[in-house]
Amino acid sequence: MIFSPRSTTGALALGTGLLLLLPLAGLDHFLLDVLASGFLLAAYVGSWDIVGGVAGQICLGHALFFGTATYSCALLTSLAGWPFAAAAAAALLLSTTAAAVVGTFSGRLKGPFIALLTLALGELAHEVALGQTFFSPRGAYSWGGEGGIPVALPWGSPSPWASYYGALLFLFLSTWGMTRIARSKDGLIWTAISGSELTARASGVDVARHKRRAFLVAGLLAGAAGVGFAAHVGRATAADFSLELSFQAATFAAIGGRGTIVGPVLAALLLHALFQGAGIAPAARVLLYALALLLVLRFFPAGVAGTLRERVRERNMVPEGASR
Amino acid sequence: MNDLLLAERIEKSFGPTRVLRGITLSVGREEVVGLFGPNGAGKTMLANVLSGLIPPDRGRILFEGKDITRLSMDARFRAGLARTFQIPGAYPTLTVVESIRVALLCGEAGQEGKRRLPRELEEEVESVLHRTGLFAQRFWMAAKLSQGCLRRLEFARAISCRPKLILLDEVFSALSAKDEGELTALLRSLRRDDGISFLLISHNPLILAEMCDRVVTIEDGRVTWEGKPADLAKYLPVAAGHDHGP
Amino acid sequence: MLPFAQVLLDGLFTGSTYALIAAGLALILGVVKVVNLSHGAFFSLGAYIAYALSTKGVSNPAVAVLLACVIAFAFGVFLGKSFINPVRSHPFSVAVGTLGFAILFEQAAQMLWGPHPVSIGAGPPWAVVDGVVVRRWGAISLIASTVILLAIALFLHSRFGLPVKLIAEEEEIAGSVGMDVEKIRYLTFGFASAAAAAAGVLLAPATSITPTMGRVPLILSLIVVIASGMENIAAIFLLAVGLGLLSNVSAYLFSPQWSYVSLLSVICLLLLLRPEGLSATMPGRDY
Repeated sequence: MIFSPRSTTGALALGTGLLLLLPLAGLDHFLLDVLASGFLLAAYVGSWDIVGGVAGQICLGHALFFGTATYSCALLTSLAGWPFAAAAAAALLLSTTAAAVVGTFSGRLKGPFIALLTLALGELAHEVALGQTFFSPRGAYSWGGEGGIPVALPWGSPSPWASYYGALLFLFLSTWGMTRIARSKDGLIWTAISGSELTARASGVDVARHKRRAFLVAGLLAGAAGVGFAAHVGRATAADFSLELSFQAATFAAIGGRGTIVGPVLAALLLHALFQGAGIAPAARVLLYALALLLVLRFFPAGVAGTLRERVRERNMVPEGASR
Repeated sequence: MNDLLLAERIEKSFGPTRVLRGITLSVGREEVVGLFGPNGAGKTMLANVLSGLIPPDRGRILFEGKDITRLSMDARFRAGLARTFQIPGAYPTLTVVESIRVALLCGEAGQEGKRRLPRELEEEVESVLHRTGLFAQRFWMAAKLSQGCLRRLEFARAISCRPKLILLDEVFSALSAKDEGELTALLRSLRRDDGISFLLISHNPLILAEMCDRVVTIEDGRVTWEGKPADLAKYLPVAAGHDHGP
Repeated sequence: MLPFAQVLLDGLFTGSTYALIAAGLALILGVVKVVNLSHGAFFSLGAYIAYALSTKGVSNPAVAVLLACVIAFAFGVFLGKSFINPVRSHPFSVAVGTLGFAILFEQAAQMLWGPHPVSIGAGPPWAVVDGVVVRRWGAISLIASTVILLAIALFLHSRFGLPVKLIAEEEEIAGSVGMDVEKIRYLTFGFASAAAAAAGVLLAPATSITPTMGRVPLILSLIVVIASGMENIAAIFLLAVGLGLLSNVSAYLFSPQWSYVSLLSVICLLLLLRPEGLSATMPGRDY
């Protein structure tokens, strides 16, 4: 379904090798920081691809799962005084639960309505996070709203190198895991659902159940990226729930190639690193992403990796193809 | 109850339009029953109701004596009631092999994907491929097959659940003579070797006369006649003004 | 402190204008058969055009409406012809693409006019009844919206509206009768976008103008269209007015944030309780 296992692992290994050596080339802290955020963002986008690319569900509220994780970390450590590890575990549980709920609701809905529901839920979470009155603790400071809530980390402020390598490791592991899942039986069934729900149902697929499962996996991984982000940035802000962030997941995935996992991950990483590294303002960046999205959807709907994959498949369409 | 499938007094309306007006129909074990009628008579709607795509407003459906009226389409498939679609629904991004794999993974009753070794699953896939004559095209993208192969893929999908009954919705329409011959041979072999019953929906009386043990005609959402296919010719003048076979 | 009657009256004016936006969305849903998430952006476009004109000293609403309609129509036709029509049959591309256009506009607006709210003066009141102020924008909005909606309803029931109705109801027949279905589609998209922009101009004096101001009307008109269907202009009008009142009242009683939150909650409930929604109009395989 994707590139052959051997070539994908090879490419991943090469890429990871390069990234491992990059800090030694003397990058400044700003760039290391940008790349660390980029790794986490790429993992987040990869998680979207599970439910939005492989399973083909139009999820426009993926930031809901990400933000749930960051806010859980922040609230539990700063307000409730939990140790970070416990808060992280709770954050994963909560984001997965949110995903299970969304997945259940999406079971009965058709594509455009799943898009609307996820969009509305994401915006609801964003508004709640933005509302200052919700998160004012007793004490001198008022938390919440635009400024967000700090995360009480056990290690003070981390060194840029630790963040960099930590995030890279996380990206590598999660991408490897996601490609494994995409190639599994579940991945095959998700691809079937994405292609034709009707045919899948007529093949005995319990579509509602598998949709929920896709959301669950995607939500768990997005939550993990959120936990990583909370640890890296040390703060949960309302932007973690924003429509712009949800939009970026779908956009990078579309550009990279929905359903390929590696495509979205690389697209997110490269575009983020390039644009933010070059110092382009946030509004201009998002505008350019939107423009790129429109062009890709119109002219290359399969995205970069997707178009490549189609070419590979077409070459394989000979009756005596080698056994896979 | 000897009937494999029994549909009683099925009614379905869409807004003011009554599409099915109380249809009672049965299919026995190892029987091929034809469903004949002009376009718009309600044949496909009946197939949709029987296969679980659309729930009926009234009436009930029994399969092997059990009430399946409220059962979902995928559950019916796992119970052994399969159907093909008039427009074959090939997955745009899966190959033939993969398409069959999906049906085999999910087609077993009890739980989908019973604990098979990968080797066992592949053997079953190959067996289905050979059965339906799709072995040569197995790595082709399902969506790029010819009409004849697409219909055979529909069969491949349908037999993956070891069905007892397959609803064939216009599976022979708009096919070349060669493809039609291959498909009828496939149908016969499935009936003979696996004892599968068929409900064959078609507006082509020649096919029905050739393949069926019994024919039911539908017009305007009602059953108007039932009898032997040989007698269909006598009944035909009433339906003759509509479609004929290729 | 505003008297409650003032809140109600302003809600009525706002709601009637929302009906205009909702009617446009309904047209797009019925004729182009897509869920258009960029609709709110055209509303914002209208508001910003009105603002831009007011900074240049032009405060005649008719001029603003005309200019906004022309620009929005042009954009809408362009978007409809170059993007929407070709990707219509891919729900993902439509949903994410129209959202992308909306976000593109939001970012552009932020870059051009800044992220902070701007506003146009509401102008001198038309009349004051019992302490309740009837503002010029309000009266114009109500009259203009009602007139335009009536015109749409009349058009659809007339001979000229037949092609449009035919595409909405019997797509295959429309094509085989030789109608240029694609053209009617993008023209409808353009027209509906112009209607949304007009609404933006009409409401601009009443609200603070921000880059993301289009989100509330989008959600609101989605609710209206999902709840009342595409056929019934009267139902659209009433429901939009009702929601406008509700939204204004909750903004007044609680805070402006709450109106967006309550709208979002309504649409979630609607989607969960009425999943059959508008499935009949979506292109692709029938279910």
